[in-house]
Amino acid sequence: MARYGIAIDTTKCIGCHACRVACQNQNDLPYNEEFNRIKEKERGRFPSFSKEFIPLQCNHCENAPCQRVCPTKATYTTKEGVVLVDEKLCVGCKYCIEACPYKMRILDHKKGIVEKCRFCIELVRAGGTPACVATCPLQVRIFGDLDDPDSEISRFIAKTGAQPLRPDLNTRPKIFYKRS
Amino acid sequence: MPESAWGWLIVTYLFLAGAGAGAFIAAVACDLLAPDWSKSLARAGSLAAGPLVAIGTACLVFDLEAGLREPWRQIYLVGNLSSMIAWGVIVLSGFIPVAFLYALGLNEITFVGKLAKKYLIHLEILGSFLAVGTAGYTGILIAVVNGVPFWNTPLMPVLFTASAMSTGLAVAMIGAAILDISTIKTLSNFALGHVIFLALEGVVLGLLIFMSLTKSVEASASAMTLISGPLSPYFWTLVVALGILIPFVLSIVEYYEYGEMPKFLVVGADLLVLVGGMSLRALIIFSGKPPIIV
Repeated sequence: MARYGIAIDTTKCIGCHACRVACQNQNDLPYNEEFNRIKEKERGRFPSFSKEFIPLQCNHCENAPCQRVCPTKATYTTKEGVVLVDEKLCVGCKYCIEACPYKMRILDHKKGIVEKCRFCIELVRAGGTPACVATCPLQVRIFGDLDDPDSEISRFIAKTGAQPLRPDLNTRPKIFYKRS
Repeated sequence: MPESAWGWLIVTYLFLAGAGAGAFIAAVACDLLAPDWSKSLARAGSLAAGPLVAIGTACLVFDLEAGLREPWRQIYLVGNLSSMIAWGVIVLSGFIPVAFLYALGLNEITFVGKLAKKYLIHLEILGSFLAVGTAGYTGILIAVVNGVPFWNTPLMPVLFTASAMSTGLAVAMIGAAILDISTIKTLSNFALGHVIFLALEGVVLGLLIFMSLTKSVEASASAMTLISGPLSPYFWTLVVALGILIPFVLSIVEYYEYGEMPKFLVVGADLLVLVGGMSLRALIIFSGKPPIIV
């Protein structure tokens, strides 16, 4: 079985937010709700400085704190390693929002449940890639199987030494970043 | 102000569950250790415990989203025993009925109470374990959250339990004064409880702040928010001065001036303890900050 992840090359990201909008379209989200967002960070000091755009979303952690604290087992991990929320089981207690160190879960007041990036599982199972990956005009994102050493993502990680955000938190995220 | 997904309902729950559990312990302690002259305090504590925890639990339920609109979903709440909420549901489900039965039994209310009176000692032992579980659980609930480094420390359940004991004793003492104002003199005996638990609370709170300052950038930022940041006026006045220092001093005076202190100061000290307990929980929840990820 595949173990899906995304590698992100922030050195190529121009902060156009197409990934966020594609995600909102795919998941039918209102304009003020988002499963992914772009954090802007300034680096260096004048006159040699640059701006880094860091796309953020659920890291689909292998040791997911949100799943551990979920009292109803609404949060679960699929065979493909994708962390999902079962809409029928979630009570909206928001414990997972507190537990997620990356703060990538949002409350959907209308449905009364907590939601998050789903790696566009229906597109992926049909042989496609998540909307954010497919739509990125600069191919900043690489989606693929982390268990297959010959996949594009595995080769990218091996070549660039891309790292997850805050690996010290021991959640074993599946989004890898090349940042310089 | 709140950065947390949890708001005032959860804060109120943390406070009421702690105060209710503490009131139960205060009632049991009075009934077992000093039965004659502290009867009104045991009665007040037992009568307050069940309702306080029940109202707190209602706050918890009202904070749910889908679980409130479709209440049958609450059955799923015990589905995952690695979640502290599941354990909380189990402990509360045990404690609330035991606390109500104990109140009926100790005060001999209705035939249920007469029946419960026969098993009073059993209710006291079982209830005490559940009460400590309820008070400690409110701290463990947030202590296991590694998404907020400031909360992620074993000091949290100790702090919340110490605060639960002092707020519970305050509830029982105020209740005793309401039930029978003439007992207010004997309340001086229990001021010692305030001295002990407020001292413990103050020491643990101090430790929490000092250790957070050196623990991580995020925990330090939370601690700074409390001691010198935007929440510091509330922290120093409501929690430290009004909630711990002033009632601590008043309780020492009350204990040594046995029965000579003006009534309004006795009850006033207890009210301040309650203000401090509620403020402590609000400030700890609202000062929590997530890890800096990039």
